[in-house]
Amino acid sequence: MKIEGTHVFNGPREDVWDMFYDPNVLASALPGAQKMEMVNEDEFKFDMNVRVGPVSGAFSGELQLENVVKPDSLTLKGGGKGAPGFLNGVGNIKFKEQEDGTTLMEYEGEVNIGGALASVGQRMIDSVAKSMIRTGFETLDKALVARLAAKESGSEVVDFKAPTEAQFAKEVAKDMVKMDNLSAETKLIIYIVPVIAVIILLAVILNSCGA
Amino acid sequence: MTQKVKVAITVNGTLYEREVEPRLLLSDFIRHELGLKGTHVGCEHGLCGACTVLIDGHTARSCTLFTVMVDGSDIKTVESLGTMEEMHPIQEAFSEVHALQCGFCTPGFLMTTVEFLEGNPNPTAEEAREAIDGNFCRCTGYENIVEAVQLAAKKMAAH
Amino acid sequence: MAEKYVGKSIKRNEDRRLLTGNSTFIDDINLPGMLHVAIKRSDFAHAKINKIDVEKAKALPGVVAVYTAEDLGDYWRPGPLQVPPPSVIKGAIFNARPLECIAKHKIRFSGEPVAVVVAENRYIAEDALDLIDLDVEILPYVGDLEKTVAPDAPLIHEDLESNLAADVVQEVGSWEKAVAEADVVVKKRLLVNRVAGAALENRGIVVNWDSNLSLLTVWATTQGPIPMRNSIAKYLGLLENQVRLINPAIGGGFGPKIMSSQIDDVVIPWIAMKLKRPVKWIEDRRENFLATTSERDQLHYAEIALKKDGTILGVKDIFYHNTGAYNPYGMTVPLNTQAHTVSNYRVPNFLTEIKMVFTNQMVVTPVRGAGRPQGVFVMERLLDAAADELGMDKAEIRRINLLQPEDFPLRTGIIGQDFVEGVLDSGNYPYALEQTYEKIEYEKFKKEIQPKARAEGKYKGIGITMFTEGTAVGPYEGCKVLVGVTGKVSVVTAYSNQGQGHYTTFAQIAADNLGVKVTDVDVVTGDSGQWSWGVGAFASRGITLVGTAIHNASLKVREKALNLASKLLETPVDELEMEDGVVRVADMPEKFISLGDLAMRSNPTRGTVEPGMEPGLEAASYYGPPHGATGFGCLAMIVDVDPETGKIKIDRLVVTDDCGQPVNPMVVDGQLHGGLQMGIGEAFYENLVYDDYGQLVTASFMDYLFPQATDMPDKFEIIHSQTKSPLNPLGIKGVGEAGAIAPPACMMQAFEDALGLKDMFITESSINPSKLYHYVQKAKSA
Repeated sequence: MKIEGTHVFNGPREDVWDMFYDPNVLASALPGAQKMEMVNEDEFKFDMNVRVGPVSGAFSGELQLENVVKPDSLTLKGGGKGAPGFLNGVGNIKFKEQEDGTTLMEYEGEVNIGGALASVGQRMIDSVAKSMIRTGFETLDKALVARLAAKESGSEVVDFKAPTEAQFAKEVAKDMVKMDNLSAETKLIIYIVPVIAVIILLAVILNSCGA
Repeated sequence: MTQKVKVAITVNGTLYEREVEPRLLLSDFIRHELGLKGTHVGCEHGLCGACTVLIDGHTARSCTLFTVMVDGSDIKTVESLGTMEEMHPIQEAFSEVHALQCGFCTPGFLMTTVEFLEGNPNPTAEEAREAIDGNFCRCTGYENIVEAVQLAAKKMAAH
Repeated sequence: MAEKYVGKSIKRNEDRRLLTGNSTFIDDINLPGMLHVAIKRSDFAHAKINKIDVEKAKALPGVVAVYTAEDLGDYWRPGPLQVPPPSVIKGAIFNARPLECIAKHKIRFSGEPVAVVVAENRYIAEDALDLIDLDVEILPYVGDLEKTVAPDAPLIHEDLESNLAADVVQEVGSWEKAVAEADVVVKKRLLVNRVAGAALENRGIVVNWDSNLSLLTVWATTQGPIPMRNSIAKYLGLLENQVRLINPAIGGGFGPKIMSSQIDDVVIPWIAMKLKRPVKWIEDRRENFLATTSERDQLHYAEIALKKDGTILGVKDIFYHNTGAYNPYGMTVPLNTQAHTVSNYRVPNFLTEIKMVFTNQMVVTPVRGAGRPQGVFVMERLLDAAADELGMDKAEIRRINLLQPEDFPLRTGIIGQDFVEGVLDSGNYPYALEQTYEKIEYEKFKKEIQPKARAEGKYKGIGITMFTEGTAVGPYEGCKVLVGVTGKVSVVTAYSNQGQGHYTTFAQIAADNLGVKVTDVDVVTGDSGQWSWGVGAFASRGITLVGTAIHNASLKVREKALNLASKLLETPVDELEMEDGVVRVADMPEKFISLGDLAMRSNPTRGTVEPGMEPGLEAASYYGPPHGATGFGCLAMIVDVDPETGKIKIDRLVVTDDCGQPVNPMVVDGQLHGGLQMGIGEAFYENLVYDDYGQLVTASFMDYLFPQATDMPDKFEIIHSQTKSPLNPLGIKGVGEAGAIAPPACMMQAFEDALGLKDMFITESSINPSKLYHYVQKAKSA
């Protein structure tokens, strides 16, 4: 499946990039992430729990970062597998400074999903995916706001709380009700977007551990 | 090893007290723990209806319930309807109009019909067809089952 | 003179057991100490296996063993083929690639088994599956029927030069000649979709090895008990009678349960012998969708050449047939397609070519219809396209081209699945067309009902299509019939029953010949310990082949009984009658001897016997026809398409079906109903869909739409036609698949007729509300 999308962060590009490189922020923006480990500078391993409707289980995988140009762009290649199935993907991300001081993140890539996730989780995938991406970006937005506020006031502590798995599940349920009106193409994009976002976030966290 | 849970469930008039794993499906409890093989499992995701039983008088899909969820209930399976020597009027009706072929889905249809006729003792063909719409059958094309439901209604009224 | 049973609708002997929950299906079998198997299946559609790590799975408490192909050692080998290659057809190319029961070096479809877990219960076994890690190198997936034989396609079987599995050309007359003489040539690219058998009961096997007795007992949901028994015996180095294969009650077959040499019948008996404990495997529904065979999936480039008055001069059909990752079932399905394309019509020139191709998908083997629906779909669509081109009525173009009664028997010139030239044995196709045409009030619909509906903004349409069903092919079936000492009759055959009514229909035939009540005839099917010879339930052959064998065997028993009674009653045979369970003197009924007594007397326990004597009132008989018997019919439907939603309703369905002499008309109707449900399902609801990465995305009933009661018309209006087959004494033909053959072709014609769009022509055998809605919008704006 081909995927692409954008998100606007309310902050300058350098701050967005730095935030992405804060492992705490990213780990917490990703519900279900259990463990991340650097294998070498551009390669990481991760464990996470995945739940898509009736299909759930532990996933483990790797990520590679390529073509890293700070704070401009990078390419991620990643894949994971586990009881629920597997997924592989490649994504290209660009961060563009906007005139109004915001940052436009653009992403495009390709993902394939297999196993029980694909064969039984089909009708759930869209909703869960949409929720994951929405929650992920909302978390990042909040983190960014907190960071910028801390920066301004000069304080160290960043006043920010990540959503718990229970809160996340509630959001998924809400989103499932709202999903129905979308076209198939939109649904595909929406599905991939959160998955790629997850991969991006992980990659960036892990990269920051090495950076 | 998961902690087992005590349950007390009445099935076809007999009270069974057992200790079961929390994840034991009701269909597996009925079939393998209690040895009542008439209830069949076709899909294990609640769509085909072959596993339909009556729980406290209402139809339910035993493949998507855990045994522990029905602790204290009163369950009826196909074995409660009749015997080979003396079948229930609904069973007689099914045989008379060839409303079964392989018989795998049949117990589910029978239990659905039991509840349906309790609420609607004189259904039209259309009502009967709607009532059985949630049970899958691959062999019969449903026409004879609709006829059987109406014939069963007549037989039960005559009693 | 007692009434005969054959030809009567009577209640079934088997119903009581089934209705009261007293039947034993495969999952009902529990043996002491029994272990449960769960199968790890590949998520990947095409991959090289690097490593299968089962250590964590083995360590799970409750897991007894985990096996991969490596553990099987020399026992692991692909195959054999279940159906031999079509070497009788000149020029046929066939690259045999039988199934691998468990993947060893390579994975070729998503769902292919890679490991087997054996545990104390099914729950633990399934838990262990999650702990098995499959390390692979993913290879590119290919699923498109044409792309898979393109030069750059990834090779599924690397020892072949391409993914072409077979190429078979058959020709009658000359297509070139037909084109030269034609006024009109119509070409169409047609797609037939893929559907599942989707029996309510999934597959299963229970195996018990008794090493003291050297007896392997296997309970299996197979439609082919004897070939599976023989295969297991051969694999394990046992004698045939050291393997007892028993069919429990089976919850629907429809084709896929005929497959053997799969992981269940190859690996699980091996495990049972190794672990010396009974072993059970029950398939779950997702596995059934992923890894039980399914069928159709063909792409046809078809052409028809006609004169401008609608007379057919010739048909050409080049088609791609998807066999999936392997081709264990030979050419059966596409040969059926070839044999059923022009089988209703006078077509002097016919050229047909099968390009069978491998893809990274589950293997294709017969599902009710088994290739026939595709042939009929192609021909009926070509006729509809030709009718549009020529401005002819759809019923009329068929009428003028039908084979006539005087044309039979007709040698078709096309070799079919039984490797002999197809012969249409008997039939009256015009009768079927006229009966259906009249009953559905075709003309009234076109002239009154349809215009009135249109005026009200409704879209109603009619479709009428012909079909044939080749049934009752060889090689043979057999049985033995015995009169027991209680006077009851036993019929034993190794055929397999999945609900077709054999316990009654077989009994009817025996009861008629032996003068007993049908309820006093006990039928045993599918137990190799009781009867050891047979082939299996496929191609709608049971009632014809087994029925004829039973007829012949019971006549032999009758003769034995009469001869013995003649001696005992001191009366010539021609003065005796055999009725009501006794043999008696015709005009002195008080002088009689019961069948039970005769049975006792026929088996002396002391004294001497005459040379050539056979004990008991028992006889065996085998029957194999020279070729199949062809049933036929005409199906018509009136459909209503909702302009707002694209939802459909079948207002009326009329089918005339001819299966020769029906043994039990109620059972025949039941078979037609069931087949029609599947055909309607294929046309509008059911679809097995693989995505671009080879993942089956319709692997549950949530996504694979199973036709329900309200999807059927209120009444299947059936007209019976009876053109007896000259091939067997009772004149029987099969009917099991008839209903499933014509609905897609008929419904597409009806949808086109409903919407009345000038350029609308449906080229696929399956359509859905969103596609129809799109056509409706076009119709509204027209």
